[in-house]
Amino acid sequence: MNPVKPSGVNPITTLIATTVASALLAACATAPLKPGGAAEARDKLTQLQSDPNLAHRAALAVAEADRAVRAAEQPQADKELGAHRVYLADRKVETARAQAETSFAEDQRSALSAQREGARLDARTREADAARSQVATARAESAGEKAAADQARGEVDVAREAAAGSEQQAAELQRQVDVLQARPTDRGLVLTLGDVLFTSGRADLKSGASGNLNKLVTFLDKYPDRTVAIEGHTDSVGSEEYNQGLSERRADSVKSYLTGKGINSMRLAASGKGKEDPVAGNDSAAGRQQNRRVEVIISDASPALR
Amino acid sequence: MNATPQVHRERRLRMTLGLMVAFVVGACASTPPPTASLQAAHQAISVAEQAEAGRYAPGELGEAREKLASADTAVSARRMTMAARLAEESRAEAGLAASKSAEVKAEAVNDEMRRSTSTLIQEMQRSSGDKP
Repeated sequence: MNPVKPSGVNPITTLIATTVASALLAACATAPLKPGGAAEARDKLTQLQSDPNLAHRAALAVAEADRAVRAAEQPQADKELGAHRVYLADRKVETARAQAETSFAEDQRSALSAQREGARLDARTREADAARSQVATARAESAGEKAAADQARGEVDVAREAAAGSEQQAAELQRQVDVLQARPTDRGLVLTLGDVLFTSGRADLKSGASGNLNKLVTFLDKYPDRTVAIEGHTDSVGSEEYNQGLSERRADSVKSYLTGKGINSMRLAASGKGKEDPVAGNDSAAGRQQNRRVEVIISDASPALR
Repeated sequence: MNATPQVHRERRLRMTLGLMVAFVVGACASTPPPTASLQAAHQAISVAEQAEAGRYAPGELGEAREKLASADTAVSARRMTMAARLAEESRAEAGLAASKSAEVKAEAVNDEMRRSTSTLIQEMQRSSGDKP
């Protein structure tokens, strides 16, 4: 049967032809299909535009991306063209995002550099403060040292002055002592008023005695801290009571002369030693004359002199 | 020879198909090479290379180069529409590579600034910890 074969071939070729034709037709037809991936590109763009840090940045690139996304969103029968547009849209959105991020980073830079400068300034301020406090400490220390040195110097000066003063005073004292013709002894300066000052057997001072005694007054005026012991002495001629009494009266006589010249009686102690303390032999006239005397003992080492 | 009308019909169909394919292919072949797009892609790749995309966006730069090479191949195959699209894609990819490189570099600078600031602050705290 012949018709079997043509009828068998015919449906197959028809099928092939129909399939090819429909495929071609479908390719040419404007079937309303949104290309896959366009929505994703749109999402990415929307995300970029709603990011508060990135919105309004890279405006040119964003506008271009928007155009590309819009083109990708167009229903496209040509799948290759659709994919191409989606590809372009995706890359342009990515490019816009990269540019916006770059712009944001560059804007942050001034703030970052301000932060760094702030930190650097803080560091320097701290260093300067530390250095300043060190300098202040050093200065205070050196000031303290200087004050101490000044004080030490002052003390040395005072000591030197005191030394100089005491030297002067000592020299002056020596001069006064020399004037008095007093001699230094263990008991102090001893000024001996000889027998010649008194009338024999009497306690009254001769008028000539005043010269020597006035020197003593001058000395005691000059050294008001010094006290004076006035001792009367006699030779061995005469009774003990007589000599004792005479020596006391003569000592009193000297004391009253001195008080009469303004010397405080509290500084003056008069006593009679009688014949008990001779300075020479009583067997000669000269020796006895030496023993008849009044000794004025001026207290040593007054505080004013030390 | 009763197969003759069948063969004839088959031939006609084949001719129709061939014509249709030739028409479609011919439509593509008649377009001139997309010289401007190819040049633009070339230039975009140079710009990306200058922006050190080889270092900062090597993936994008590589893809841009591949797309451009594919575009050239398509031109050789006289598939001009495909070549134009590939060139455009290469250009877009190269643009992305350049922009990404700039972004990476900008972020690197900022990171360095942040690091040096925090180092400074740490040093300060340490030194102030030593001498309160």
